Amino acid sequence: MSEVKVTKRERNVIINPLVTCQPLGAMFAVAGISRGLPLVHGSQGCSTFVRYGFSRHFREPSEIAVTSLHEDAAVFGGRRNLISGLGNLASRFTPDLIGVVTTCSSEIIGDDVDGFIKTARQEIKESLGENAAEKIKIVAINTPSFVEHHYRGYDNAIKAMVDQVALEPANGNDKLNIIPGIVNPGDIREIKHILNMMGQESIMLTDTSDPFDSPLRPGSTQFKPYYPKGGTPVQELEDCSNSSGTISLCNYGAQAAGVLERKYKVPSTIGPFPIGLQNTDQFLRNVKKFSDAEITDELLDERGLLVDSMADITSRYLFGKTAAIYGDPDMVTGIAGFVCELGMTPQLVCTGVENQEFVDDMKEVSKKADGKVEIMYGHDLRSMEVRLEEEPTDIIIGHSDGRLIARDLDIPLVRVGFPVYDRVGYHRVPIVGYRGGINLLDRITNTVLEEYYDPVHWKLQQ
Amino acid sequence: MPHDLFEVDKSIPERKKHIYIKDNADPAQEIPSCNTKTIPGCMTERGCAFAGVKGVITGAVKDAAHVVHSPVGCTAYGYGTKRYPTTPDMPDGGKFPLENFNLKYIMGTDLKESDVVFGGMKKLRQSILEAAKEFPEANAIYAYATCTTGLIGDDMDGVVKELSEELGKDVVAFNAPGFSGPTQSKGHHVGNHTLFQHLVGTKEPPETTPYDVNLIGEYNIDGDLWILKPYFEEMGINILSTFTGDCCHDEICWMHRAKLSLVRCQRSATYIADLIEKEYGVPYMKVDFFGPTYCAENLRAIGKHFGLEDKTEAVIKDRMDKIKPDLEFYKEKLQGKKVWVFSGGPKNWHLPRPLEECLGMEVVAVSTMFEHEDGYEKIKERVKEDTVIVDDPNSLEMEEIVEKYQPDIMLSGVKEKYLAHKLQLPCVLIHSYENGPYIGFEGFINLAKDIYAAIYNPVWDLVEFKEEVEKTPKLIEEVESGDNIKLKAK
Repeated sequence: MSEVKVTKRERNVIINPLVTCQPLGAMFAVAGISRGLPLVHGSQGCSTFVRYGFSRHFREPSEIAVTSLHEDAAVFGGRRNLISGLGNLASRFTPDLIGVVTTCSSEIIGDDVDGFIKTARQEIKESLGENAAEKIKIVAINTPSFVEHHYRGYDNAIKAMVDQVALEPANGNDKLNIIPGIVNPGDIREIKHILNMMGQESIMLTDTSDPFDSPLRPGSTQFKPYYPKGGTPVQELEDCSNSSGTISLCNYGAQAAGVLERKYKVPSTIGPFPIGLQNTDQFLRNVKKFSDAEITDELLDERGLLVDSMADITSRYLFGKTAAIYGDPDMVTGIAGFVCELGMTPQLVCTGVENQEFVDDMKEVSKKADGKVEIMYGHDLRSMEVRLEEEPTDIIIGHSDGRLIARDLDIPLVRVGFPVYDRVGYHRVPIVGYRGGINLLDRITNTVLEEYYDPVHWKLQQ
Repeated sequence: MPHDLFEVDKSIPERKKHIYIKDNADPAQEIPSCNTKTIPGCMTERGCAFAGVKGVITGAVKDAAHVVHSPVGCTAYGYGTKRYPTTPDMPDGGKFPLENFNLKYIMGTDLKESDVVFGGMKKLRQSILEAAKEFPEANAIYAYATCTTGLIGDDMDGVVKELSEELGKDVVAFNAPGFSGPTQSKGHHVGNHTLFQHLVGTKEPPETTPYDVNLIGEYNIDGDLWILKPYFEEMGINILSTFTGDCCHDEICWMHRAKLSLVRCQRSATYIADLIEKEYGVPYMKVDFFGPTYCAENLRAIGKHFGLEDKTEAVIKDRMDKIKPDLEFYKEKLQGKKVWVFSGGPKNWHLPRPLEECLGMEVVAVSTMFEHEDGYEKIKERVKEDTVIVDDPNSLEMEEIVEKYQPDIMLSGVKEKYLAHKLQLPCVLIHSYENGPYIGFEGFINLAKDIYAAIYNPVWDLVEFKEEVEKTPKLIEEVESGDNIKLKAK
C-alpha cells in the first residue's frame, strides 16, 4: 500500500472550478433523447453559455431553448414564461420530449414547475389536438444550480426521465440499461460495440453519441427544425423498466439507477468507469451478472491487443513516470487505475466534487500504485497548480481548462474528458473499453516520447 | 409591407415586427423592433447581462482579479470565453508579473443552498480577501452580481466599499444579474456606468501629451488593438487609455485626462464616452476601422482633429500599398458571393459596405443579437434594398433565412456555426474571429482570407456520394460465363 494523503479545499473562493452547475448536466442528458429538447427555465445566459460550451467541444449544433426570465419574472414569477415557452416549443418543434431544466433563478423564485407544466399540457392539447399533444413528453427536472454540480444535474435528469416517462413494467425485454455519464460520443459507441460483440441488447440512458457527432448528410437529415440523427428513442425510455438490469458506468448515476431498482424492480450495479484493463474486465463481468451474454473470442482478442500494447510499450517508456489527473471524479478514478496498470504513479488526483465516494474509490486504486498518491477533492484547478509548482509530475491528464496551467508549469497535458476545445477529434476517440485503453495508452506514451525522448532522439531509433 | 412573418413563426406572429426587409421608399425610422424581451421557448442566440459585463467589458483588463458572486456555474462559464489576449506591458514601463492573468484565472464565491437562504455577503467578503491574498499582484478586484445574488438581494456595494479601504486597492462591484435587461447589452451599460462612477478621475497618468486619446470599445479581440496601435503611433497619437483591450486597471482611472475619446464599439461603450464628455469636457468621436475605406476615412478624421494630416496620409498609403494585391485577389474570388452577417450588434453596420465595395460580395441578410434603435438605423442606411434585417433570430428562423436568401457564407458565432455547416453553409466566426485579427487594413485581408477559405473549402463539392458507376460490360460477361481464370489474368 502506497502512502495516501487526502486534502479538501480550505479557502472559500473557488479559482478555476473543476465543476459547473447542475443545469449543464441535465441539458446534456436531455440532448441524448431522440427529438429531445431541453427547455431551460432561467436567464438566457443559462442556456447560451452551455450551448457555447457544447458547440465548442463537440463542434456540433446544440439546440437548447430558454424561457428568458427577466426582472418581471423575478418579481411575479416565471409562470407565463414557462407555460408559453412550452407551448411555443411544442408547436414549432413538435419534439418527442421536452426536459424542463430549472436554474438558480427559477428555484429561488419558487416557481411551481409541475403545476405550470400541467397547465401547459392543457394548452398544448387545445392548440395541437389530443393526439399530437400526447406524443410530446414533458419532464420536470429540478436542478438548483446552488446545490452540488453538473454531475448531480445529469443524474437528476436521468432520474426524472426514468421516473416520469418509463411505463409500468410488463414483459421483460432482456435488455440492459446503461447510464454512461457525461462522456464523449466515442465512448458511448465503444460501450455499444462491446455489448454488440456480447450479443447483449441495451438501452442507453441517454445516448448522446450521434446527437453530438452527427453526419453532414443533407438528404437524410431532418430540417426545419433541425434534429440530429440518433439519440435514445422515447419508446426505449418507456421500455427501460422492463430491462433485466441497469449498469451505471459512473457513481453519479446511482440515483437514477436507484429509481429503476425501487420503482420498477430492475436490479443495478454502479461503476467502475470502464477505463483500463481491469475496469473493462469488471464491466464485462457486470454485464454477465444480468444476462447470459457471451464473452466472445473477438472481444478477448481486443483485450489481447491492449495487453500486447502494454507489454510492448509501458515498461520501456512509462514505468515510474508520474501523472496528475483532474476532472470528472469517475473518469479520474478510472484513469488513475489505468495509469497504475501502466506502471506509472497517479501522484496527484484532483476533482471538484466534495464526495467521500471519490476518496474511498481512490484509496482503493492507490493500493495498486507504486508511489505516494495525493487525493484532492472539493478542490479546483488553482489548488492543483499550486501543488504542482511544489511537486511537479511528469505529465498532466485532464481537459482543456488546464491548458494554460500546464503551459506555465511546462508539464505536457494529455487531453481527456470535457471540455476539450484546443485540439480536435477527442470527442470521437474512445478512452473506455479495451480499444479505448489502447487509444489512451498511445496518447499518454506519445506525449511522453515527445516531451522526454525527443531531446534524446537517438533512443527513438528503434 | 416592409415587415415579414416567417413561415416558421406562424405560431408566434409577434416576431413579424422584428423582421424587416429594406425598402428605400420607407421613412428612416422604419426598422425592426429591437432591444425587447425574447419570446420564451425560443432558441435565442442571446446571452445574459453578466456575460455582457464580464465577458465583454471587463474581461479584457489585464491586472484585475475577477470574483463572480455566484454558485459555481456562472464562475465556470465566465472562464476564458472571449479571445482577449494581453501583454504584460504596463504604462509605467514595467511588466505585470502574471502572464495572461485575465485569460488564465476566474474566481467565484461558490454559493451553496444555505447562502441562498441566509445571504451570501459573508462569503463575498471572505472570497475577495482570499482572492487578494492568492494574487497579491492583482491591482484591483472586480466582483460580479449574478441571478442568485440579485434575487437574494446581497448588498455588494457595501461590502466592496469596506474592502477597498481594508485592502488599499480598488474593489468594484458590478450589479448586472443575468436576468436584468433583455440581452447582454444591459451588462455593457452597467459596466460602463460602474467603471465611470467608481474609477474615472481617481488617478493621474504618469505623463500626458497634447495627442492623448482614449480608445473606447476596443477589446483587442484576437489582437485587433495590436493592428490599430501602430497606426496611431505612426500618426503621432498616444493611446492614453484603452477601454478595455489589453489595458490595466489604472488606465480606466485616468481616462478623464485624454484630449479626445474615440468610440470603436459604439453599442457597448458609447455610454462611458458620453459620461466623460459631460463630466470632464473630453469630446468624443465615433470611429469605424473595419474595411480599408472606413479605416482610411476615420484615420483621416482623427488626423485632422490633431492637425496630423501628412503623417496620417503616410500611414494610409503604406497600408493600402501593402494590401492592394491581396485585396484584388480576394475581390476577384469573392465577387457576387452572397453573405449573411449575424453579429452581436455593430459589425452589422461595420461590415456590409466593406464586404460589398471592397470584396464585391452581396449582403443578403443581416441580423443582430442585441442592437438598439440607433444601431438598426445605421444598419439600414448601409445595406441595399431588399436585404432582410432580423432582430434576435432564433435557430428555426436561421434555417428559413438560409432557405429563402441562399447565402454563400455566414459570419456568426460558434453556437450558429455548426448548424450552418449542417445546412451546407460555410461559416466564419465573427465575434472572436477564426484567424484574425480582422480590424484595420491588414485585418480586413485576414477576414477576406477566412471567407475565401470557407467558401472555397473543397469539402463543399464533396458532400454527396456520387453513386453512378460506368459498368464494364465485358467484365460482367466474363463473370457470368464463369471465366474466372481469364479475369484474374487481366
